[in-house]
Amino acid sequence: MSLAAGPGRGRVADGQLPDDLKLVVDKHVAYIKSLDTRRDELEYHLTEHLRVSGIYWGLTALHLLGQPDALPRAGVLDFVFSCLHENGGFGAAPGHDPHMLYTVSAVQILAMLNGFEELETKVPDGKMKIAKFISKLQQPDGTFAGDEWGETDTRFLYGAFNALSLLGLMPYQRPNDAPLIDVSAGTAHVKACQNFDGGFGLSPGAESHSGQVFTCLGILAIAGELDSHLGEEGKDRLGAWLSERQLESGGLNGRPEKLVDACYSWWVGSSMTMINRLHWLDQPRLTKFILECQDPDEGGIADRPGDMVDVFHTVFGIAGLSLMGYDGLLEVDPA
Amino acid sequence: MPPLHHTSNFTFIPTILSPHPKIPFQPSDKKEIQQAMSKYFEDPAWADITPLPLEDGGPNALAQIAYSAEYDELMQYLRAVMAANEYSPRVLALTEDLIELNPAHYTVWLYRFQCLVALQSDLQRELAWLNETALVHLKNYQIWHHRNLIVDRLGSSEGEARFVERMFERDAKNYHVWSYRQWLVTRFDLWEQGELEFTERMIESDVRNNSAWNHRWFIVNGREEQGVPGVSDPAIRAREIQFAQEAIGKAPHNESPWNYMRGIARKSGMALGHLREFVEQYASLAQPDKVRSSYALDFLVDILAEEKGGKEQAGEALDLLASKYDPIRKNYWEHKKDNLGLAAA
Repeated sequence: MSLAAGPGRGRVADGQLPDDLKLVVDKHVAYIKSLDTRRDELEYHLTEHLRVSGIYWGLTALHLLGQPDALPRAGVLDFVFSCLHENGGFGAAPGHDPHMLYTVSAVQILAMLNGFEELETKVPDGKMKIAKFISKLQQPDGTFAGDEWGETDTRFLYGAFNALSLLGLMPYQRPNDAPLIDVSAGTAHVKACQNFDGGFGLSPGAESHSGQVFTCLGILAIAGELDSHLGEEGKDRLGAWLSERQLESGGLNGRPEKLVDACYSWWVGSSMTMINRLHWLDQPRLTKFILECQDPDEGGIADRPGDMVDVFHTVFGIAGLSLMGYDGLLEVDPA
Repeated sequence: MPPLHHTSNFTFIPTILSPHPKIPFQPSDKKEIQQAMSKYFEDPAWADITPLPLEDGGPNALAQIAYSAEYDELMQYLRAVMAANEYSPRVLALTEDLIELNPAHYTVWLYRFQCLVALQSDLQRELAWLNETALVHLKNYQIWHHRNLIVDRLGSSEGEARFVERMFERDAKNYHVWSYRQWLVTRFDLWEQGELEFTERMIESDVRNNSAWNHRWFIVNGREEQGVPGVSDPAIRAREIQFAQEAIGKAPHNESPWNYMRGIARKSGMALGHLREFVEQYASLAQPDKVRSSYALDFLVDILAEEKGGKEQAGEALDLLASKYDPIRKNYWEHKKDNLGLAAA
């Protein structure tokens, strides 16, 4: 899966009226499939450190577009297994160090493709091995490091909770066994990341950012603490901050006074869905903005109209449309 | 809400936030790079190393990773030295070349750090090299993490605050750099070493820089758990409210100072009514055609809602927001009306 941008750009086709914009489903499918063949480009290997996440993004987009089989299942699984290390962690590509982010992407791929059985055949007790790699990265303060080097942030905490819940190994999923991780220490840390403006940042004190709001709400949702922590008042405050992210173009930004970007359709949209306030966005305008970011001829979605398309913005643009119930897309789970 | 279980046959998979992939650094002159690369194969200093090609996990199409020749050569040497656990000056040189080609490759950074530690290298020299590298790859995350490890090990923040300010001259909202700045303040106890004045300078140069506003909040309120009062202290609160109000005076329709002022009121539990006179300079029901900021009008709603018999007026202000000053958030304004027990317009 190439993470190279382009070659197409997001734009509105000549002569097309704004109200006639439609998601070009078949072209997006073709675009994502084509990414897997673009291996002779310099960018292909320069983005190798993201490869397994790239596959996850492409695969997710294809699932949402209703074409889950457009990439060969066996080939994807072989690649994922080739990234697995002895310690239960996955690297971004063969030969790369194991890291939380890529372990999470790998688990997400395995879950999406129902590949856990193959995992157990290939690696006895594989799910538990992966879970132990993840749980060992938890720090005394509840956070998770990305790797043995101790860098921590809320993305890794979310990744840990997300992957463990997909593996069925969160403490609440196996109440009779000793818990692998300390859930309440993790959620306590997340709560400390909430800011005076109602949003959440990457670490306590760090600026509120829509992407971090997503990870923090996801953690609280998976732990079942979202309602008890925020309450209706907290949801109103956070929802107000999130809805301020929508600008006149209909697109959303990640923090105040920054540019809109199609990927925030997902980070903001899913966050608002988790707190039942998606309807505070002007959805027809957001839909129109996302469709203006697609390349109507070759497929793919860009961050903004006029920019080059790539797989990252393609999946999050499509996921944003799915949240809003766009016709013909599968429904997405916001957390 | 119960924890999210995935019970249906088709369970859609929650999505992981991954770092926003930036287009990696692209060498401007391929030829130049190529020449640099072949030096490894021909260099006697590397003659003992057999480059290690990638095991790509089988013959399937997805695993066929097509490296370009030049990058491939360096990666083969890196794999070989890593397999042999070699820590040496030439490994430092190799990682430097690789980072120049692709600074986002986290394994290279980690191995470089291990190597520096093993060789007990001069970390000041490493910082000097990082300064140059950081200016080229401003948005790179690994560089900041690496810097963090180096400075932590050095145990001194000498020169760091100045360096960070130089970085802000290029991009004053860079999230990694602000996070690094906060880490410096905490790690080296720099709370009162001119940090408040620094936020003033940053906000002075761009009153809309929300990152700088956030940093100010952090500096003012970040030590309450250690017993150093923030805006709960009346004098500090007054100073900060004045600071926000002056900023609003310069640019009334600016989300950051309004949020800042709201945050102060909320944290300190002050009655919003104290701010009414100020807010009405920017939004007043007496002059519904002359509202200068929807943030001010929203603030006025909350002031009115706190007042006895003020709900109806708050409703009027909300109608103005929904119909005229901020219709894109119409449903939010309707929700606020609903919360006040008022019927929709």
